[in-house]
This record gives sequence, C-alpha cells and structure tokens, in this order.
Amino acid sequence: MATFLLRRLLLGILTLLVITCFVYGLARAMPGTPLTAQMGEDPSRKLNPEDQERLRRIYGLDKPWYAGYAQWLGNVTRGDLGRSITRKQPVTTLIAERIGPTFLISGTALLLIWLVAIPLGLYASARSGTADERATSLLLYVLYSFPTFVAALFLQIVFSVWLRGTAWELPLFGMTDLPPTAPWLARAADVARHAILPVVCQTYVSLAYDSRFIRANMAEVLRQDYIRTARAKGAGPWRVLFHHAFRNTLIPLATLIGLSLPGLIGGSVIIEQIFTWPGMGRLFFESIRERDYPTIMGLTLMFSVLTLLGQLLADLLYCLVDPRVSVE
Amino acid sequence: MANSRGFWAEAWRRYRRRPLAMAALAFVGLLLLVAALAPAIAGTKPVLCRYKGRLYAPCLGYFNRQWEPAVFTKDRFRGTYPQNLKDKDPESWAIWPLVFQDPFRAVRENEWPGRPENPAKDEGRPSRTNLFGTDQAGVDVFAKMVHGTTVALLVGFVSMGIAGTIGILVGAIGGYFGGWVDSLTSRVTEIVMCIPTLVLILAIIAILEKPTIWHTMAIIGATGWTGIARLTRGEFLRLKNAEFVMAARAAGAGPLRIMLRHILPNGLAPILVPITFGIASAILVESSLSFLGFGPPPPSASWGSVLNDARSNLSMWWLVFFPGVAIFLTVLAYNLIGEGLQEATDPRLREARK
Amino acid sequence: MHPSHDRVVTSVSSACLLLGLLAGCSPPADDPIAGAKPEPFATATADVVPPAARPAEAFEPPPLDRLEDNAKWIDRPVRDGLTLLRAAQEKEPLLATAAEALDLENDSADANAKILSGLGRLPADHAADLAARIDRHVAGDLGSTNPIMISTSAEFDILGLTGFGLFSFGRDLEPFASAETVTSWQTSADGLLDKVVLRDDLVWSDGTPITAHDVAFSYTVIMDPRVPVPAVRSGTDQMRAVHAYDDRTLVFFHREPLATNVWNINFPVLPRHVYEKTWEDDPSLKDSPAHVKLEAEPVVGGPYEIVERTRGQQIVLRRRKSWSHVNGKRVRDEPFFAEIRFRIIEDPNTSLLALKSGEIDEMMLQPEQWTTQTTDAEFYARNTKATAPEWVSFHFGWNIGTPFFADRRVRRAMTYAFDHDRMLDKLCYGLYTPCAGPFAADSWMAAGVKLEPAKQDLDTAEALLDEAGWIDRDNDGIRDKEIDGKLVPFEFSLLVNQQPHRIKICTLLKENLDQIGIRMSVRPLEATVLQQLTQEKKFQAYFGGWGSGTDPDSSENIWATGAGRNFVGYSNPEVDRLFVEGRREFDKAKRAEKYRRIQQILSEDQPYTWLYWRNSFYGFSRDLRGYVFSPRGPYHYSPGFGSIWKPRAE
Repeated sequence: MATFLLRRLLLGILTLLVITCFVYGLARAMPGTPLTAQMGEDPSRKLNPEDQERLRRIYGLDKPWYAGYAQWLGNVTRGDLGRSITRKQPVTTLIAERIGPTFLISGTALLLIWLVAIPLGLYASARSGTADERATSLLLYVLYSFPTFVAALFLQIVFSVWLRGTAWELPLFGMTDLPPTAPWLARAADVARHAILPVVCQTYVSLAYDSRFIRANMAEVLRQDYIRTARAKGAGPWRVLFHHAFRNTLIPLATLIGLSLPGLIGGSVIIEQIFTWPGMGRLFFESIRERDYPTIMGLTLMFSVLTLLGQLLADLLYCLVDPRVSVE
Repeated sequence: MANSRGFWAEAWRRYRRRPLAMAALAFVGLLLLVAALAPAIAGTKPVLCRYKGRLYAPCLGYFNRQWEPAVFTKDRFRGTYPQNLKDKDPESWAIWPLVFQDPFRAVRENEWPGRPENPAKDEGRPSRTNLFGTDQAGVDVFAKMVHGTTVALLVGFVSMGIAGTIGILVGAIGGYFGGWVDSLTSRVTEIVMCIPTLVLILAIIAILEKPTIWHTMAIIGATGWTGIARLTRGEFLRLKNAEFVMAARAAGAGPLRIMLRHILPNGLAPILVPITFGIASAILVESSLSFLGFGPPPPSASWGSVLNDARSNLSMWWLVFFPGVAIFLTVLAYNLIGEGLQEATDPRLREARK
Repeated sequence: MHPSHDRVVTSVSSACLLLGLLAGCSPPADDPIAGAKPEPFATATADVVPPAARPAEAFEPPPLDRLEDNAKWIDRPVRDGLTLLRAAQEKEPLLATAAEALDLENDSADANAKILSGLGRLPADHAADLAARIDRHVAGDLGSTNPIMISTSAEFDILGLTGFGLFSFGRDLEPFASAETVTSWQTSADGLLDKVVLRDDLVWSDGTPITAHDVAFSYTVIMDPRVPVPAVRSGTDQMRAVHAYDDRTLVFFHREPLATNVWNINFPVLPRHVYEKTWEDDPSLKDSPAHVKLEAEPVVGGPYEIVERTRGQQIVLRRRKSWSHVNGKRVRDEPFFAEIRFRIIEDPNTSLLALKSGEIDEMMLQPEQWTTQTTDAEFYARNTKATAPEWVSFHFGWNIGTPFFADRRVRRAMTYAFDHDRMLDKLCYGLYTPCAGPFAADSWMAAGVKLEPAKQDLDTAEALLDEAGWIDRDNDGIRDKEIDGKLVPFEFSLLVNQQPHRIKICTLLKENLDQIGIRMSVRPLEATVLQQLTQEKKFQAYFGGWGSGTDPDSSENIWATGAGRNFVGYSNPEVDRLFVEGRREFDKAKRAEKYRRIQQILSEDQPYTWLYWRNSFYGFSRDLRGYVFSPRGPYHYSPGFGSIWKPRAE
C-alpha cells in the first residue's frame, strides 16, 4: 500500500506538471491580454506604446510563455501562487475567500442529492415498471429539462417577491446582509438562509441523473443469478435489495463519488452570477475573461489536485468495496 | 436446437417488445424526419418552383447557402419569393413549405400576400401565424425549433459519440489489461479531466476564423469522455475475473472479443446513463454556453438559442416553454431508449428466455 | 459638490474653456475676464497626434516670485457644482410638482420631461433628510481602493465619492476648479503654467491636513515607471512637472501651450504622509503588508469613507465628519446622504427584482427592461424611471486596409444596405436617436450641420457595388472581383462583443447584405479579444462604440492618420489638418466651421456606418429626488450623484 501511494504521488506530480504547462501555454496563446481587457470605449484614454510596454513588463507579459511558466512554477514550489493582476490580491487570499461559500453550496447540494437520489433510485428499481415509479421518473425528467436560469428566477420571484413579509421569505441575492460585526450565530443563520435558493437550484438538476444512475445499476444487479438464488431462498424484497444487491452497485457509486470531488469546489457560474454568490465558479469565469493568468493557474492547480485526489479515493474505494479488485 | 440469431438481432427483437422504448424510438425517428424535411416544413423559400421555364428547389439553401440557385440573386429577388416570382414570371408556380416563416429572419409585411409582418419586441405571443410566437427581433420560434432539430439531434450525438467511443475504449483497455497499461490510461484520463473545458472553448472561438457549434461540440466530446472512461474501467476491473470471462478465454476468445462481446454488455448499465443523459443535456449545454456568450455564430436556429433569448425577458414565456418541452421529450426519449437498450442487450435475459 | 475625478471620462480641450472666456459660450456671470483675450499661443509642434510621453527630465522649478513676475496670471473659474446647478434650475420652468411627477408613468417624452422636472429639483433649505441612507447598484466589484488605480466603472462610482480632487466639470461640460477644495486657479498668459491655491481647511480621514504636497507627491507616484498605473497616466504624462511651493500653492508646468492642458492637471490624489514611507519599497502598491492594510482601510480625502467592504457583495460608505467640520467649525456643506451602500449584483434580472422590491434605490436599465419590464403597476409601486440622451454612439467600422472596404463606394453601399429604421424601431425599441456622424446633433461642434440619417436603399447599394466592380461573375450568388489575378468573393466577417443586443443588430446587417449578394458572418467575441484584434487591425469589419468627449478634439485620436484608436486605418490629410487647426482656433464660430467640415468629409468617406446615439436609462426609487442627467449620464459630472437627496419624512 505504501509503495502504491508513493507511486501515485509521484505520478500525480508529473500529471500536474503536464496539466499546468498545457493550460498556461493555452491561456497565453489565446488572443487578449489583461491590458486589452481593461480598455473601454473612451477614445481619450490613450494608452501609448511606451506605457503599454511598461505595463507588459510589470506583469511579465513581454516574456515568452515558457519563461513565464517556469517563473510561475518556481514560485509555486516556494508556496507562492502569485498575485491576481486584476484584483490586486494574492491568489491564495482570493481562493481562500471563495472556497468556503462554494463548498457551502456544493457540499450541501451534494449531500442532499445523495440523500434524495439514493432512496429514489432504490425505490425506482424495486418498483420498476409500476405506475408510481413511472410517474416519479417523469417528474425527475421534467426537473432535469428545466433550465437553471429559469428555475432560479422563478424561485426568486416566488420566495423573494410573492412571499415577501411572510415567514417563508428568502433573500433575493447575496450571501449575507449582516455586517461582520454581528454575532456569530446570527450570521451563520443569515448565510444559511441566503444559501437555500442556490442550493435548491444546484440540487434539483442532478436528482434525475443520480437516481437514474442508481436505478440502472440496481436493475442490472437485480437480474443476477445470486439475486434469484436469494429470492428463491425466501429473502424478502427489501433484504434482497439492501443486503445482497446494493453492495454490488458500490463500484460505480465509488467512481461517481470520486468524480464529484472536484465539483465540491467547482461551483456553477450561472447560479453564482444570478444570486451574486461569491463562489469559485464566478472567480474562474471572470479570471478567464480578464486573462488574469495567475488566478487561472492557481485555480487550475487546485482543481487538478482535487481531481487527482478524487481518482485516488475512488481507486481505494474499489479495493474496499470489492475484494476481487486489488491494488496493483 | 434452433439456430441462434446474432446478438444484435436478438437484442432488437426483445427491444421491439417494449412499447415505451418503441415509442421513444419513434419519437427520435420523428425528430430525424423533421430535421431532414425542415425546409419543407417551415421556410420562406419554395420547396419546388418553376421559374422562367426551369425547375428549382430554393429551399435547399437552408441546408447549404451555396445550394440556393444564383438566378434568384441575379434577378434581384432579395430573398423574398412570393411576390417576386409572380412579378418576374407570371407563368411561374411554386410549392410552398407548410408554414411560411423563416428561422433566421423576421417575415416582413406583405411578404406573403395579406400577412402583416411578424411582431417584434415582446409582442410576439403564440398566434395563428406564429405558432410558437416570435422572439424580440421578430423571428418565428416554430421555424427556429424546426430548423434547430438538426442541431438538437446532432449536437448530442456528435459530442456523446466522440465521448462514448473514446471513453469506452480507454476505460476498457485500462480496466482489462491492468498494470502499466492501466496506469498510462489513467494518467491520460486524469490529464484530460483536469483541463478546463471553458478555456479550450474560448481558445477555439478566439483563434478560429469561423467557429461553429460543431467545433464546440467536438471539444465537449473530446474532454467529456473521462467520466465514461472511469466508469467503464471500474466495470472492467470488476468483471475481468468473472467466471464467464474465464470460460470465454478457455474457449479461445481473444482480448478484443472478450472485452466487447462479453464484458461490455454486462457492464453497460452504469455507462449508458451518462451517455443517454449526455446526449440530451448537450442542448442545455449549448444554451448555457450561449448565456455565457460562447454560442454558435448567429443567426443560429437552435433550441438553446431560443432559450437564451428568454434570459433578458422571462415574461415571454413561449421562449422557455416550447424549447423546454422539446428538451424534456428528448431527455425522456433518450432515457427510455437507453433503458430499453440495457434490457435488450442483457445476456442474462437472453438465457432466461431460452 | 465633491469634485469629479472622472479623468478618463473627461477629455475637454480647453479651447472650449477659453472660448468661454472670450465669446462667452456659457459665460459664468461672475467671471471678470470674460472678453479678455490671452496672447496667441506659440506655434505648437505640427504633431498630428499629441506627443508621446517623454521620460522624466530633471526639472528645477523656478522660485515662486520669479514665476509671479513673469506669468501674467489669468483667473479661471472656481465653482461649486451644486450652486451652478441650482442657478441653472431656477431658470428652468417647473413642468410638474413632485407629487404629480410621481403619479405619472414614463411612457412618452412629455412624461419623461415632467418626471425629470418635478423630481430633479434640488432641495429647499432643510428639506433634505441628512440622516438618509441610499442603496446603490453596481454590476461589479472594486479592483482596488487605491484612487490612482481606477479603471472600471464601479471604481469610478465608488472612488469618485471617496476621492479627493481639484477639478471638475459641470452639466454643460465646462471645466472649473472645485470651490470645495480650491481657493483660486490661474493660468499664465503663455499657457505654460497653471497655479492653484488650495483651501486650508482640508483634512484626510485620519486627521492629517491635505496639502499641495499631497498633489505633487501623487504626480511623482503616477509618473514613476515602476508603478502599474493604468490609463490614469494618460494626460499626466504630457506635463513637465508639478511642484508644491508651500502647503497651499501648487504650480503645474506644461511642455507646450496646448488646449488639452487643462485636463492633464486633473488626476487622483494620494495621501503623502501614508504612502511616502511605503511606496518606494513596493511600487506595485499592493504587495507589502502595509499596502494590503491600506487596501482594506484606505485613508481618503473625499466626503465619504469606506467603512465596510464585503468582497463581491457590497461596499458601504459613510459620510465623514472631517469633510464638513474642521477644528470644530463647519467649513463645507455636507453631502446629503449619511450612508451609501453599493450592492453588487451582476445579473440584470436579479437587480431589476431588487429594484422592484426596494432593496436597491437606483439602477441603470437595459433598453429591453425599460420597454417591457418596467411598465406595470408593480414597478411603479416603489419606483419611477427617467431617461436622457447620452453622447455615446455606435457604429460599424470598415477596415480600409482590406480589399473589400478600401473603396469608398463600397462603404457607402454598406450604409445604404442596412435597414436603419428597422434597427431603431424594433431592435432598439424606438428608444435611440439615429446617428449620422461623430458629433452629437445638439452639441456646438455639430450645430448647423444637416446630416440626414441613413435610410435603407438596396437599389442604390447595389448600383454602388456594381460601380465599384463587385459583380457576381461566377454565378454563385455572391459578388466577386478580380484582385491580383484571383477572383475574390465578397465574404467577410464582422467582429462584435458578446452582447445579445449588439449581436442582433449585426445579424440584421447580415440579413440585409444577404439580399444583395454579400456573405457576412457575425463573430461574437470576448471584449478583450475584440479589443486586441481591432487594435492590431486584424479584422475586416467590427461593431463598436465611442463615448464622445466633451471637446471635439478628443475625436482626433480616432480619425487622424496613425492615431491610437484609428482602428479602421482612415487617412485623410485634410482631416488631419483641420483637427490641428481646430485646437488652435479660438474664435468659436470659426472653430465650429472646421468641425463642420470634418463631419462633411467623414460623411462622404463613410469610414464608419454610424448607427445610433444611446440614451441612458435609469430606474429610481420614489423616495429619491434631485437626479439630473448630463451627456455623461446622471453621475459622472459635477454635482452628479451629489445632487440626489431624499426628502425628510413628513
């Protein structure tokens, strides 16, 4: 096991190098620089060539991309992710500010999805073909087809406008209305209230997918011989489901868990934009738009690390879950 | 013992027995028909017409701009056919599409004799002339949806076709062979997983002269196979030591045959779900991309672009409702097909039948 | 009110200023020198484009008494924005009372005028609620709280309230020194010096007095090549030096007696006592721990200070006592609002909902929102709305360097091919006025020019194209021309920003060109990519816009040969000459004649197809009063936001 982990670590570092190099090169190769991002529609704003050169030198844009990459890499090994060009803050501060809010939404959503989708999926596979299962499936497909921005606006209108003044009212946008000086508990409750609508928007989309996923796996497993044997031996339907069948769906489930780890800090740009939620999705999107290379690289590095960890976790879970699979 | 039919013939026979799956297949077939006949269903160019003694089919111009006969540009038709045909050649005749509306532009006043121009801004509610209403520029939504069916169908198949093929292959190879092969494929998978798709799409749009939706979808396919690969690999890891595999090996089957013929049908379940959902969700992805500003080059007739028009004014409900229903039916259809496929190809059922 | 620091927004040639002195284009009543003529400027260099920044030279400022002897100072206006506005409003007739205006729905020009008249008045004595709070809307966050790093519009709005400056300009875009911070302002007769005497009752938010040394220090920092100042430097680099002779006296040294000098002297001011110890160690002004602390808690010199900042969510400003009261005495009027909260909302749907529910008190409206989503009782329950023309115009730009658009006839054919009426009526909701040239029709530089708005005429367009040699020779429905032995089809792409409204306009052009045998593809791009490609002239056509400066000379940067914003590569020696003559001419009538001629030439040459002038649309809460629009919108001039107030509750 120790050699396995060590090998994975080394391979992981190699993978990270390849990824960051590729992304850096691509970002620099794209047309547009942080300077052109700042230009506006005012003809009097004359950025003369000397000034442009000066700024380019300050931001390191006059060097070719591989030199810039080498410099970034050197800084990273010293723990310095650099400074955001447009936001004038260290990248680590930016990420630290946003990671909490993102995790709040994504983590809660993920939890809710599993809490709802797993029972739904099991239920659907147990009562496959019956009318109420079909009806539930249909409802889930409707939810899936519902575009996020429509749902978000609809929820905003219902809970912030129609239900204004009632106990059911929810905030329209933002993460919190209280100043940082307010008591801790009140602020936590306020943030929770603000998080409800974004969490709902993030959750409902995946319900259909995840429950179908579980159902499909279950259906396949339920057709196995050993299930027939268990039933022939007189086991009741729920025992068959939980004791015999469910465990055999755990490998795909483990894969899914591993795949969703980076999503925990990914965040949805659309939801964050609509609700003005200070999350990582918006940060990433804006940093690409502004060609803020240090931030883009910092975020890519972080996502990549998490992705690799997620895969490692999935691989370890395989071994845990299925004795036939072993670490090689 | 009767001759066993081929695997797929058998699967098809079983598939046919499921009414819902057949209905879903029929729906997709209907979509295909609509996509193929789109210019004949909704358009402002005649399907067939006789002009100055020769036969033309101007509606083909909807498929490819070059296929619209040049004579109409030379004769200053300016894109409007009804009045011009009569004026310039009294003996001309034309067969018109079912619905006289254009997916790319608003129909003007009296273009079709007696019909007012398409309402624009937010006044384009669904009506007799505009079955699904019009968008803010006055373009008919029904025509957009009809012509967008091609995109809706293909967009999913292109991206998921690429993603599915690559994903299954990579995952199968890695899961089956194990060892350093698995290590290599896993690393490749991880690398592709970590590359931000958004940056790639933006780069393509910025660098290419004429980026189309297909470029975007190819990228989504080329980066979206990783989940499928992981799932496939998981299944192959699980199944490669199963008894039926050993039996097949004993019977002398080579690795490719074992992977595709024996393991894959057994491990299809978790793989089909992302594929079927992926095909349907490609439409939603296209809409999201338009929202963030990276949609297909205008004027685009696609379900996602109709949705995108709704963003600035959600009280124009018809811009959300019709694409929403279409997406819902598509999601439903693909998932039913997927379910049917899963059960139809399940080897266990085949044996159970016998 | 407080001085406006919109230095990027303002680019006025002081010719207008001088003409104000000479011919009295808008003579301030108490200006004693109206009518006096300064000596003619020494001939400036025949630069077509203002000289590029030169490296800082060692400069030894002469002693003050020598300056005083030689300068022959001319007094320049020192004004208070609110006083000017009040005086102007007294002359305007009141079209409706506030109560009547609030009852109206803004569905016609008449209603709009009544709303602006009834609700735009400044308060009578004690009518304003000085403890009021306002929630304002911004679409993005501050990049930095450092005033010399200003680049985004959110930063203008916010840092304009906390910043300290010496100059501003009024609703009529006439510049003046702000009476709140300046005692006197004079220009030397030869145009090379500007002398400003600051007031002695100015205090930073940490209690230290504001002196002329702060201004001189800020100039040093801005001009230092190691400091990553964006376009704020544009203009500052035209000066030779800025020197503080004592705590109150400041002299700006210019290199040449140019009309644009007056705008170079307006730049943001940093507190010297805070930064002088730290800036040399960290010229980026954001890395060192001291600077990080300053970012979070800046020392400000304006009427408001930042008391709370939640990144990505909101910024809270509070009126500071030390602005209006120094040493226990009242020295200045306090601004109307005690607290201003800027709420950051990116999504326009969400911000409109916030306006309707009262969570924000004002926001800028999109034309679609103005026409379709702010017309019902639900909107008017809490709000009203107003609009006014803005000097921002949009156009199609044709790259003259390409074989397609080198010929003037082709460019004019494009203008004839486009369905302007449909765009104005349907795509712009009938809200915008057509634009036919670079100068606004109601500005002095365009007065008397009769430029007919373009109308679609496909026959003329086709005739022009035929004449220019673009004929469909190979019978494929697309026009072509033989260039260098090859048959080139008329196919090109138009670059546009990724905004749905603009994309729809470009799509209309595509439709129109389709009808006459030209294939155009619309390429929506990110703003930064569009900017890069147009700057590098790697395009065939594009859709863009300009905010036209208050002085026509600022357009020289667009039309002069080789100028920085001349993306289309237009070159006409007569136009170049006219611009140079224009900024040296003092007689206003003669000057206007030059710009008239420029307009005519541009209209014949059609390097752009001008499309429309944009209005500014704003929604305001019913509680607000005092909003007044200028050609730069309701906020970016003096008094700007400072004229807005809430009435005391009855």
